[in-house]
Amino acid sequence: MAVEVKTKETNEIETEQLATGCEAIAEAIRLADVDVMAAYPIRPYDGVMQAAAKLIANGKMDVEYIVADGEHSQFEIVKHACAVGARVFVGSSGVGWFYAFEAIAVTAGLRLPVVAICGNRALDDPGAFGTEHNDSLAVRDLGWLLPWAETAQEALDLALMAWRVAEDKRVSLPVAIGLDGAFLTHSQHIVKIPTQAAVDRFLPKFDLGDRLLHPDNPITIAPQVDQDWLMEIRRQNDAAMRNALGVIREAHADFKRIFGRGGESPFLDEYMTDDAEVVVIGQGTLSLPMKVAIRRLRKERGLKIGLVRLKWFRPFPTEEVVKSLRRFKAVGVIDRDYSFGSPYYGGVLYNEIRSALYSQEKRPVIVGFIAGLGGREIEQPMATEIFEKTMAAGKGDLAAGDTCHWIGVRE
Amino acid sequence: MAEERSVSIEVVYRGIFQKTLAQRICRSVVLAARKRGHTGTAFARYGDSPERNGVPAKQFAVVAADELELEASMAKYEPSVVDVSIAVDDTLVKGVESWAWYGRQPIWKPVRANGWLLVTSDKKPDEVLAQTDKAERPYTLGIVPGGASFAGLWVYKDDHTDFRVLGALAKILPQWIALDDAKAASLELAKGDQSAVASVQYGYDATTMRRVKDGEGTSGHEVLQFKKPGWTKMRPGVIVEARKPGERNPYYKKYGARTMRPVVNFDTCIKCTMCWLDCPDECFEVTPEGHYEVVYEACIGCGICAQVCPVKDCIVMVDELKFTDNKDKWQLWKTDHSKYNSWFEDMSGVSADPKKGASGSVPPNANPAANAATNPGADPAANPTTSAGGDE
Amino acid sequence: MTTEIMPAQDLPQIKGVKDVPYDELFVSGHRTCQGCESALVMRHMVKASGPRTIVLGSTGCMYVANTTYYTTPWVVPWMHTQLGASGSAALGTAAGLKVLMRKGKLKNEKINVIAFCGDGGGADMGIGAISATLTHKDYNCLVLLYDNESYANTDIQLSSQTPYGAVTTFSPSGDKKRLMHTRWKKNVPGMLAAGHPESRYIAAGCAAYAVDLMNKIRKALELGGPTFVHTLDPCPKGWDYHPQYSQELGHLAVETGIWPLYEVVDGVCNLTGPTRQIAEGRKKRKPVYEYLKRQGRFAHFIDEDVEHFQAQVDKMWTDWLIPGVIPFTVPAKDVAILKIDKKPMHEQKTA
Repeated sequence: MAVEVKTKETNEIETEQLATGCEAIAEAIRLADVDVMAAYPIRPYDGVMQAAAKLIANGKMDVEYIVADGEHSQFEIVKHACAVGARVFVGSSGVGWFYAFEAIAVTAGLRLPVVAICGNRALDDPGAFGTEHNDSLAVRDLGWLLPWAETAQEALDLALMAWRVAEDKRVSLPVAIGLDGAFLTHSQHIVKIPTQAAVDRFLPKFDLGDRLLHPDNPITIAPQVDQDWLMEIRRQNDAAMRNALGVIREAHADFKRIFGRGGESPFLDEYMTDDAEVVVIGQGTLSLPMKVAIRRLRKERGLKIGLVRLKWFRPFPTEEVVKSLRRFKAVGVIDRDYSFGSPYYGGVLYNEIRSALYSQEKRPVIVGFIAGLGGREIEQPMATEIFEKTMAAGKGDLAAGDTCHWIGVRE
Repeated sequence: MAEERSVSIEVVYRGIFQKTLAQRICRSVVLAARKRGHTGTAFARYGDSPERNGVPAKQFAVVAADELELEASMAKYEPSVVDVSIAVDDTLVKGVESWAWYGRQPIWKPVRANGWLLVTSDKKPDEVLAQTDKAERPYTLGIVPGGASFAGLWVYKDDHTDFRVLGALAKILPQWIALDDAKAASLELAKGDQSAVASVQYGYDATTMRRVKDGEGTSGHEVLQFKKPGWTKMRPGVIVEARKPGERNPYYKKYGARTMRPVVNFDTCIKCTMCWLDCPDECFEVTPEGHYEVVYEACIGCGICAQVCPVKDCIVMVDELKFTDNKDKWQLWKTDHSKYNSWFEDMSGVSADPKKGASGSVPPNANPAANAATNPGADPAANPTTSAGGDE
Repeated sequence: MTTEIMPAQDLPQIKGVKDVPYDELFVSGHRTCQGCESALVMRHMVKASGPRTIVLGSTGCMYVANTTYYTTPWVVPWMHTQLGASGSAALGTAAGLKVLMRKGKLKNEKINVIAFCGDGGGADMGIGAISATLTHKDYNCLVLLYDNESYANTDIQLSSQTPYGAVTTFSPSGDKKRLMHTRWKKNVPGMLAAGHPESRYIAAGCAAYAVDLMNKIRKALELGGPTFVHTLDPCPKGWDYHPQYSQELGHLAVETGIWPLYEVVDGVCNLTGPTRQIAEGRKKRKPVYEYLKRQGRFAHFIDEDVEHFQAQVDKMWTDWLIPGVIPFTVPAKDVAILKIDKKPMHEQKTA
């Protein structure tokens, strides 16, 4: 059902497809000329591997496609392929992501630019097939870059961005793209598929330089260290993560120039915030029902409300977040995750946002919301409740403010 | 000393072979001091674990007047200054190259001015001092009589080295470890065996002391010290340059892990290559004549070469303290045959000419085999000849 | 990139000790124990494979002791991999090289890929990944398992390769329980050979038979596809014997029949070295006691423990379908149906 469309800038022929988030990622794998990918089944991420397998079977791309014996092997396989210079792709979901956890940690530790998707899924037991962000967020402190996509188009675009940022020598860290299970992985959207020529202009060839593991460049990678070295190595990775912010800005600017997409800011997607007094902030597809609620509540009640969607959780764009959020009276943070026993019993994002704003003299009231866990839909009454509570907090209602609320949970 | 509020003691030992011994010494120190109401802690340097056979390691005992004082010594890998350092093998006085750090340190490095270095040895103080790095501050060298006590991991060789050392400590630190307390503690540790008490008394009486002044000792040992770069200078991605072909690792020499070293009789060598082939440490280098010379810098002294050599007394293991340097010796054989041979005979106690037979002294297979005491009926010193390998 | 490029080389079979390559690709100054047989395996492994080799090392002694940061004994490129990941590391590296050469992103040449693991990383945690790798027949890589029969790097703990009854820190001998560990050693190379018919080469070796071992490594690399070599490495630290006897303990393990040497080449099993001589009746198996008594880890054995050990080893030689390799037999009535040759090994038709 591909439809041809011309790009704004270059007049190259792009096609349009009706594709799921998974299929959109598979197209990005093809366009990036990925060399090695490793698959292992778990819903919902495995839709990517199924779509990629079809592309391979039909001769649309040339990639070593390895069906592994488990997630740990999956991630180790691509880690080692990456070390000999291969552009790689991998992914998982939920407990599968956790099964690979050791490999996930070392990949970042060794600065290997693996690109993965995490098809976000609730953790077993008892688990659910639907989305919850705790799988991705579990790696937040390890040195992985963590963007979240809202649509299939953004999934494709973020994937291309991911290889570019990850493989940039100033960064050289892995990226895990968060894709909300079911809502994004399995629903079809109209997606513009860029041309190979345009992608080639955006994404340089992968070159590890003098870090390549090869007999012509004999090196020893990852010898054992002790207390004499570890702080220095952590500090190096800290510097790489700091560099990532600037590299993402650069890549975003190039992306916009070449493909004509990507929004104003690489980090934040603001919706109806110009005159807003109260906003909510969150990640991934929960923006969609919230946008509907904003339009509806503005129309029905004239509320000055808006949405800020965070696109990159790591590196955390502190400057951009602070600059954006400090304009508002109150901010509701919606977590599709939890952090049991954390300050104010909030979610992960809630505490990150509070922490980012702490040093500001003028700062909004911040209210936390736990919503949509395990793939539960965020319905309009819930969205309304979230805005009502945030607005109440903005007006000084202490019962609503400085605390966290579970939305849509049966008592 | 009376006003000192705590005392730190370290035991430097050969990894695995003397692990249990070091543990017993440190525990006995704390238990003996406890009898006077002192409190204390015993711990191993975490960085030495996993210990390697022969590689120097350290354990510590800190005894303090009270808990508050003790806290200053806790949550540490090792005290930077100690009152007493105990080397339970005299070849350790050649310096300590632990596997978890870089470089070789003089044995007395953490010993405070006018502290003590106790060495278990059959040698005289001056012989031991001659192999000890030149002193940079005065200390007292004490020789606790007895050879190095080696054992395997599973069975402890109970030759009372620990009790003799405890007796020596009672002599130098009476305010912390009274002789009677040392005896009482040893009796408990030996489960009532009175001979332990006698060993404490013997260590107390027989340990000989020698004051060491600034500048006494040898400056003949290699200086092996490295500067660690910071994070901006280190290669990203936890990467180090590979060794070049033909190069040996300059950062870790391993000879400090050795208690004996092989000497080779090139006259009787049949050039069979077995020593070279079976050496786990790549020590041997082939000479233009096809002999295999030992690179002493790389040798850990395991003795495999001597064991696999098919020619009797062609490779003989010799006490490390007999050597003052790590220079390779094949050049000497090449240039002055007879001088080399008399050196070989002097070192090995074996005649260089096999027709003359052994010169009388027992080749020191005397590194008292790790498991001599382990297995009833198993005496590695009385080892049957090596069965022929599959490669011959 | 460094300028010094080491040339590719053929890997013909080594004819004898005088034919062993002289150059060291794993050099002195590693941090292993006195008399470490596993370090010798590393040395022989890269001697056999030559300079155009990438080595992946999973966690264990040969990682921690050999490669302490800021220094390395490896001349060939080397990379750490996780404890259970030797199979995956071999596979990923081989796949990366293959695709990059196919796409013209790397020069097309033969590069050997060897991933090593200890018995903990290979026989316990990583065996699933090794098994998977041995089914990926399109990738050229060798997994080498160096087996010192315990988690020797972490303090000598019990592994599935620790022999029956041996003392480890997880299986001490006590007043109530003389033997804490009563499981028989897992038959790893036999299991892998039986289960992976498309792997062209699976072998059991020992560094005490250096030429035999190097030739096995060369054969594995020359035949290609995913291959596996398992070495038994006497460990003076964990087994408790004087380091000078490492070679001798290796010989005794083979001569007592406890550790049979063999290779399975394209589905054909050849016994090698003294193991062949024993099978052919040219050499008598030594009693296991001669091996056990030399090691402190068996110091607590009483007669009945030695007898049990001997009986189990005897069974390997008398009852197993292939001595030391295939651990089952068939009912007498089925011998003819299954065309099983019950003649002694040396009288059997060769495949």
